[in-house]
Amino acid sequence: MSFAPKTAPYSGKINAVTLGTGDKAIVIGGQNVMPFYTFDAPIENAPKIGVEISDAADSWTTPGLVDFYAGCTTMAERAKRAETMEGADFLCLRFESADPNGADRSVADCVADAKAVAEAVSMPIVIMGCKNMEKDGELFSKISEALQGKNILVMSAKNEDYKTVGASVALAYGQKVGAETADDINLAKQLNIMLKGLSINPENIVMDIGTAAVGYGYEYAASTFDRIRLAALAQSDADLQMPILAAVSADTWSVKESTASEEDEPAWGSQEERAIDMEVATAAADLTGGADAVIMRHPAAIATIKKFITELV
Amino acid sequence: MALKGLDIFKLSPKKNCKECGSPTCMAFCMKVAQGAVSIDKCPYFSEDAKASLNEATAPAMKTISVGEHKLGGETVLYRHEKTLVNKNLYAVSVCTCMDDATVEKKLADMAKIDYERIGERMYVEFVFVANNQADPAVYAELVKKAAATGRSLVLECWDVECAKAALAVCGKDVILDGATPANWEAMNEVATAAGVTLGVWAENLSDLYDTVKNLEAKGNKNLVLDVTGKTAKETLANAVLVRRTAIKDGDRTFGYPSIVNLAKLAKGDDRLQTAYAALFTEKYGSIIVMENMTYAQALPLYGLRQNIYTDPQKPMKVEAKVYPINGADENAPCALTVDFALTYFLVSGEMERSNAPVNLIIADASGMSVLTAWAAGKFSAGTIKKFFDENKIEEKIKNRTLIIPGKVAVMKGEIQEKLPNWNVVVGPLEAVQLPKYLKDKEYESAVAAAEAERAAKAGTVQEVVKELSFEELLETKVPKIEVVDMGVKYKGYNPESKTFVTIGERIHCIAPAIRKAMDERDPAPILERAAAQIKAGATYLDVNIGPAEKDGPERMMWAVKLLQENFNNVPLALDTANMKAIEAGIKVYNRQNGKPIVNSADAGSRIGYIDLAAANDAICIALCSADGIAKDNEERMVHCDNMLERGLSLGMSSDDLWFDPLFLVVKGMQDKQMEVLEAIKMFSDKGLKSTGGLSNNSNGAPKNVRPIMDSALVAMCMMQGLTSAIVNPNDLRLMETIKSCDIFKNHVLYSDSYLDL
Repeated sequence: MSFAPKTAPYSGKINAVTLGTGDKAIVIGGQNVMPFYTFDAPIENAPKIGVEISDAADSWTTPGLVDFYAGCTTMAERAKRAETMEGADFLCLRFESADPNGADRSVADCVADAKAVAEAVSMPIVIMGCKNMEKDGELFSKISEALQGKNILVMSAKNEDYKTVGASVALAYGQKVGAETADDINLAKQLNIMLKGLSINPENIVMDIGTAAVGYGYEYAASTFDRIRLAALAQSDADLQMPILAAVSADTWSVKESTASEEDEPAWGSQEERAIDMEVATAAADLTGGADAVIMRHPAAIATIKKFITELV
Repeated sequence: MALKGLDIFKLSPKKNCKECGSPTCMAFCMKVAQGAVSIDKCPYFSEDAKASLNEATAPAMKTISVGEHKLGGETVLYRHEKTLVNKNLYAVSVCTCMDDATVEKKLADMAKIDYERIGERMYVEFVFVANNQADPAVYAELVKKAAATGRSLVLECWDVECAKAALAVCGKDVILDGATPANWEAMNEVATAAGVTLGVWAENLSDLYDTVKNLEAKGNKNLVLDVTGKTAKETLANAVLVRRTAIKDGDRTFGYPSIVNLAKLAKGDDRLQTAYAALFTEKYGSIIVMENMTYAQALPLYGLRQNIYTDPQKPMKVEAKVYPINGADENAPCALTVDFALTYFLVSGEMERSNAPVNLIIADASGMSVLTAWAAGKFSAGTIKKFFDENKIEEKIKNRTLIIPGKVAVMKGEIQEKLPNWNVVVGPLEAVQLPKYLKDKEYESAVAAAEAERAAKAGTVQEVVKELSFEELLETKVPKIEVVDMGVKYKGYNPESKTFVTIGERIHCIAPAIRKAMDERDPAPILERAAAQIKAGATYLDVNIGPAEKDGPERMMWAVKLLQENFNNVPLALDTANMKAIEAGIKVYNRQNGKPIVNSADAGSRIGYIDLAAANDAICIALCSADGIAKDNEERMVHCDNMLERGLSLGMSSDDLWFDPLFLVVKGMQDKQMEVLEAIKMFSDKGLKSTGGLSNNSNGAPKNVRPIMDSALVAMCMMQGLTSAIVNPNDLRLMETIKSCDIFKNHVLYSDSYLDL
């Protein structure tokens, strides 16, 4: 009469992808169960947290961020400080200022920053661009070249530019390449097939399947996570078994809950606390859906999510 | 849980008496399994057998009501499989271990969280009242305070006397979270006597399972399971295994809602509780207990909950009204868009980034995106005018600049005409372009131009147009038709024939060439597409003239006459959101090759198209949906029955209602394809005809793949009994497949040249 739970791992397995080199190298993926379902089988590699370091970080005014990076003036200094953050596993350099419609920083300057960071730190490095496809294409190629041997991850190749980005980042310079789609499981699969078609080894691909801040159409992200993980595990779909990285902070720091001042929304209380909880809730939701790594910004949010992961794995 | 026909058959009387109308008991049981017929149709099914069937068909997870709240009742593990039904609710915890001041402050803080987000009230639904002492009076005192908030209560209390005292001082919208393997009998009596839901907790799942069994044996199925373990890890395992056992394995012992107590798992750490709350929102917490609920926590958590519990097949709508952005007052310019929640968030977010004051006007468009709403006639000059009038926008706002979405630039003229006091200008195509557009006031020159144009118009005298009858319109507004030899003759159609009816879809206003031709009454592009479709073997031609609010009747009369006079009275499907236009089209329609088809009615706002078809002796396509896609075949069949009943009551023949299951796109709704096929079988089993936009399945697939997908699907559909489809007849592979299926179905006599006929 008594209860015996039916537990079992799936036959499909997420690819284990190594980022970085040496002692601080990390492995993401590798599990054959749904996120945190340790009762079905042990989770081989706990999800990892990356610290976002933007080249526009000068404009950050959140007290906790200002305090944490006090005294830092360059990206390399910030990166070095970020390595000391509780819960940090890797660093994410985001070159927002390269946008031709914005500050239009030169590729050479960005590459110099990336090189300085790589010399100063030992944690794995992930590169994010400015979302201008043409500029990113050049930026990704030059940074991949300059950081050869560091085993970095470049976010990302898209449906429109996967050939050039995939060929330069992964084939020419041997780095890991991201495959970016927006809440579309069919396109996510297709993009992986195309990247593999370029002779890129599946173990060198990480997916960015699109996310959103919670409350902002997050249902699409949640269902895309569920469906991709079920296809990878239950259907053993090798074209969806790449680990997933979710760029949490890029979404959560621009929504009203994080940006509205206390004067504008007196009932809502501390703006910083709101931004932290928005980042925490979104990261937790992404990890529950199947993110193998999240990129975050605030030290307090990162410490919380680190604890969350440690408790659950 | 769906039962298979064979399982029902095992319990059936196996008499084959035919009294139910089915030829055999087996056939009857199959129909029962599909939900096509009620088991009560059989006079010989024993009551015992019926009872055990009811038990077997009962949902795997119970819905438990506590006051006005509903918990559980889920049928799937993941929202994409169907939908999640009852959102998780929140509780804030107070305890006898706290002093009065702390309790009062917590309850007061909790009450501050009360706001609306996209039509939903966001607040803490429950107070969780924990007892950790033995004096009934002390606990009752605390429960009284909690009850005074007016919220529902969860009483965590394992002491029978304390529980009795507590229940004596509160209402019925209470969960007594007090049963354990040690005290379940006594607690069960307390809860049953008070008529409240009983919460059950145990050290491990095995004990929990046994305790539930014991309680069920005593007749109590009004339960909630407290799955809180010693750690978050253990709690997640409990929550998942309980839900999975109920829904996947169909074991109803665990088919109850859950409580997870984060105040225990992350005491003193609000941020970690936020993270856990997000986890348990997605993974099977029904009531999530927190130590506190601040705005910082509520804003993301309630937003997440609202997203996760959105029905994947129903669009999320925001309230249609004026939203002042960046402190806009009556002098700020206006921008217009639809009420689809994602559109609203995207557009309002970008507008906020511009820092420019704007009045964002959200018009009612049934929660569709801009282009979809436009194509469906839900976002037109007419609906916008109506919205402006009903909401007295012109009185509320003094500024006369109205920016419309770039995607519907075509509507500019019509809106300007309907809102003559406004300067209508076309905004950017994408929301991301808005900050620059608004900041740099890029609309100013267009506004000036519109202003000048209005001034020029104001000088001329507006003639008053009287509404003309169809005959007068035909006389004065419909150009004479010239018959051109296109080298093709429509070969005729016998409506009695059983062959598959193809309705050619290529004369559609979504195509720019056709839209232009319709606007200019230019016959050539329309005749060209008609000739190509007729040559390829189309039975009917669909004529979509667009929303056509302004000149619908004369447009449709012209198109109908143009096509029928040129092509031997080819039968037509008349397709527009303008009902007057359909009526006018039918007035000039020649029935030599079959009745006209009205495209289309649905079970919601377009139900009136059935009346239109009935009044004009036309066939009517009846879309089995109301507000969005039907969530399952049960709903499809309810719509089907409603429309059938309406048609029959208006004197239509059931053959003149062609039911459309609504074909769904594989890229996005792959897991719903079999359901559509099953719906077609259900229509067919009822003896009904069916049709639909079959090629929608392959939308977005590469050009070379689409004919293959469409052909495979049409063959499967014809096997299920589909009698017609709206297709592209110039897809050779598809047409050859249809002809071949008609051979196998014995609708056409085989000859070696059957493909050429």
